[in-house]
Amino acid sequence: MTTINRRRFLAGTAAALGLAAAGCASPVTATPGRLTLWYWTGGLATTVLTDAAARFAAAGLEPVNVGFDNLRGRLLATLSGGAYIPDMTMLSDDIARYFGDADQFVDLNTLGAARFEGEYLPWKWKAGTTPDGRLMGFPIDTGPAALYYRADLFAKAGLPSEPDDVAAAVHTWEDFFAFGKELQKTQPGAVIATDSNEIFQYALAQGPKKYLDVDGRYIGDQDHVRRAWDLGVRVARLGLSGAFVNSTDRQAAWNSGVQPAFISPTYTSNDVKKAAPSTAGNWRVCRSPGGPSNAGGSFIAITRYCPDPQSAFDAVSWILSPANQARHYLDAGLFPSALDALTDPAVRVPDSFFGGQTVVDVFAESARGVPQTAFSYMDIGIRTYFQTEIKNVEQAGKDPDQAWNDAQTLIYRLLKQSGVER
Amino acid sequence: MTDVLPRVDAPAESPATKTSRPWFSFLPQYLAISPFYILFAVFGIYPIFFAAYLALQRWDGIGPMEWAGLENFTFLLTDGEFWDAIINTLVIWVMSTVPMIVLALLVALGLNSAIRFKGVYRLAYFTPNVTSIVAMAIVFGSVFSEEFGIVNALLTAIGLDPVGWLSDPWGIKVTISAMIIWRWVGYNAIIFLAGLQAISPEVIEAAKIDGANAWQTFTKVTLPLLRPVLLFSVLMSAIGGMQVFVEPQILVGVSGGVENAGRTMVLYFYERAFQQNDFGYGAAIAWGIVIVVLLFALINWRLVQRPQRDGAAR
Repeated sequence: MTTINRRRFLAGTAAALGLAAAGCASPVTATPGRLTLWYWTGGLATTVLTDAAARFAAAGLEPVNVGFDNLRGRLLATLSGGAYIPDMTMLSDDIARYFGDADQFVDLNTLGAARFEGEYLPWKWKAGTTPDGRLMGFPIDTGPAALYYRADLFAKAGLPSEPDDVAAAVHTWEDFFAFGKELQKTQPGAVIATDSNEIFQYALAQGPKKYLDVDGRYIGDQDHVRRAWDLGVRVARLGLSGAFVNSTDRQAAWNSGVQPAFISPTYTSNDVKKAAPSTAGNWRVCRSPGGPSNAGGSFIAITRYCPDPQSAFDAVSWILSPANQARHYLDAGLFPSALDALTDPAVRVPDSFFGGQTVVDVFAESARGVPQTAFSYMDIGIRTYFQTEIKNVEQAGKDPDQAWNDAQTLIYRLLKQSGVER
Repeated sequence: MTDVLPRVDAPAESPATKTSRPWFSFLPQYLAISPFYILFAVFGIYPIFFAAYLALQRWDGIGPMEWAGLENFTFLLTDGEFWDAIINTLVIWVMSTVPMIVLALLVALGLNSAIRFKGVYRLAYFTPNVTSIVAMAIVFGSVFSEEFGIVNALLTAIGLDPVGWLSDPWGIKVTISAMIIWRWVGYNAIIFLAGLQAISPEVIEAAKIDGANAWQTFTKVTLPLLRPVLLFSVLMSAIGGMQVFVEPQILVGVSGGVENAGRTMVLYFYERAFQQNDFGYGAAIAWGIVIVVLLFALINWRLVQRPQRDGAAR
C-alpha cells in the first residue's frame, strides 16, 4: 500500500484539477457515439425498449430512465448548458411549454414523419405540432376520459346501470347533475365529482378552445372558460362534489361507496384497482357527460444535437408503431394513440374489475372524439390561477364572481409580465 | 483549540519574511485548501452572481435571454402574491417555533431527570429529524385528511367538530406547523439536554439552599443559563423556517392550497421559476427572499447582542 505523502497528495490534486479543466470540454450529447433516449418509469413499456435496443443496436440506441420528476430539470440544464444533451427524450403533456424553443428539437416532418400521420389520432398528432407546423413530438400515449361509475350502487338506487343506458341518461352536464341528485335521494351524501376542479377541467377539455388562441392571444376570459367554471361551481353548490383534499380521502370514498361516480382518464383505472380491490366487478365506464376529452399523454422528441436524427427517428417510429402501441398498453397500461392499436383484438379484452366490460372500447370512442385544441406554453401557468380560485370557492366559500375576477386579474398580471397580448 | 497546537511566535516571523516571500511560494498550501474554495466558487458564488444577472432578464430556461432591466424587481415590489408568501412564511415560522421550543424544553427536562432507558428515548426523539420529509408529508396528509384522517376521527370521537386541516386556510398552516414541530422537537430537545447538562449542579444546589422552589429554580437559574442555547435554537429554526418548502408542496400542492395559505416564499419562487417557466422573475424572487432573510438575521443579531450576558452561561 502506498502511503500518501505531501508530494503525492499535491500531484494527485493537480491531476484532479487537470481533469476538472478537461471536463470543460464536455461532450454535447449524453453518450457520444450512441443514441440516448430519456424516459421515465412507466412512460414506455420496458419490453418494447428492450426489443428496440436489440433491434437498433447498430445505431447505438440506449434507453436511459431518468425519472419523471427529474426529466424536465435535466433537460433544461443540459440544453441551456449545451452538454450531455439526450439525443431523444420523452416529453409529457406539457410539450407546449417547449414550443417557444422549437429550434432546439428536430422537426420530425423533415425526417419523413408525414407518412405516419394517418396512422395516429389527428388531435394527438396536432398536439405535438408547434403553431408554425413543426412536428416536435411523436405520439406515445393518450389519456381519454370517461365516466367511471358503480353499477351496483346505481342499480340499488333504481337508476340505469348498464353503460349505454347510463351514457344516455347523463348525456349533458345538466343531465348528469340531475342524475346525481336522484342518486342522493336513496344514497344521501353520495358524490359524483371529486371536486369543482374535476368538472372545470373536463368541461373545458371537451371544447376546442383553451386559454390562448392560435395567434397567442389570451381568450381565458371568454365564454367557453366561464361556462366550464360555472359548471365547476355548480357541482359544488349542488352538494355533488366530494371536495376531497387528497387521494387518501378520495380512495376511502371509492371503498365506502361515497363516490360512486367520477370523470377520469383511462389510467385512473389502475388507481381504482389498487385502492379499492374489494369493489372489483362493480365498476363500469361510459361516455363522459358533455362528450369526449383528454387529459395527459406523452411524446418523444429528437433534440437538434442528435448527430444521426434519421436513425433516431427510425427507432422512435418503430418503438411507437401501431403494433408496439398495443404492447405499451398491455405491458405498461399506456393507452394507444395509434388508430390500429385501438381496435387490436389483443387490446380489446374484457376487464373483470369492470364486470367483464371491454373498457378499451369506451375509452377508444372517447379518444376518437377528442377535439383538436390549440395548446400553448402559458397553459400551465394560467390554469394554476383558475384551479386555486375555484378551490377557494368550493372550500373557503369565496364568492364565485369575486374568485373569477381575482383569477383574471392575476392572469392579466402574469400575461403582462410575459408579454402576451390580450 | 489553539492551545493544543505548538505555539509559534508570530511577531518574530512577520513583517520582513512576509514581504520577501512571493505569494506563489505558498502555492502548496493554497492548493491544499483549494478543493473547498473551488467547490464553493462553482456551487456557491457563481450561482449567486448568476442569479443577480438572471434577475435582470426574461428567460424560459432554454432559449436566449431577453434583457428586462429592473422590470422583474418593480413587478416584485407590487406583487401581492409575494407579500402574502412572506407573511405566510413568518406566520408558519411563529406557529411552529414557539410550541416547538416549549415542547423541546419539556422533553429535555424530562430526559435530564433520572429516568431509565434514556438512550432509547433520545434516539426515539431524534428519529423524526432523520426521516424523509416527503414520506412524512404523505403520512401527515393521511393523518390530517378530512373525511378519513385519524385526527378528525379522534376529534369526532370526543364530540368535537372535524376540522378542515387541508381545506381551511388556518388548518393548512396548523398542519404544516405540526409537521415542522414533529420534525424538530427531538433535535432541539437533544441540544437543550446538552445545555442542561452543562449547568453545574452546584448552582442549582445553591439555589435550593437559598430556599428557591422548583419553579423559581427553573425560571431564575436554569432558563437564564440556557439562554445561549435557546437563542441558538431560535436562530436555527429561523434559518429552517425561511426555507420551508417540501411540507406545503406535498401536503397542499405547489400553489399552497386554499387561498394559497401554505404558499411560502421558497414555494412561490419554485412555482414561478419551474412551473411558470419564468426564471428571470424566479431569480428576482430569490433576491427578495435574500433581503427578507437578511432583515431577519439583523433582528436576530440584535437580540443576541443584547448586553445581559449572565456570566456563567458560557
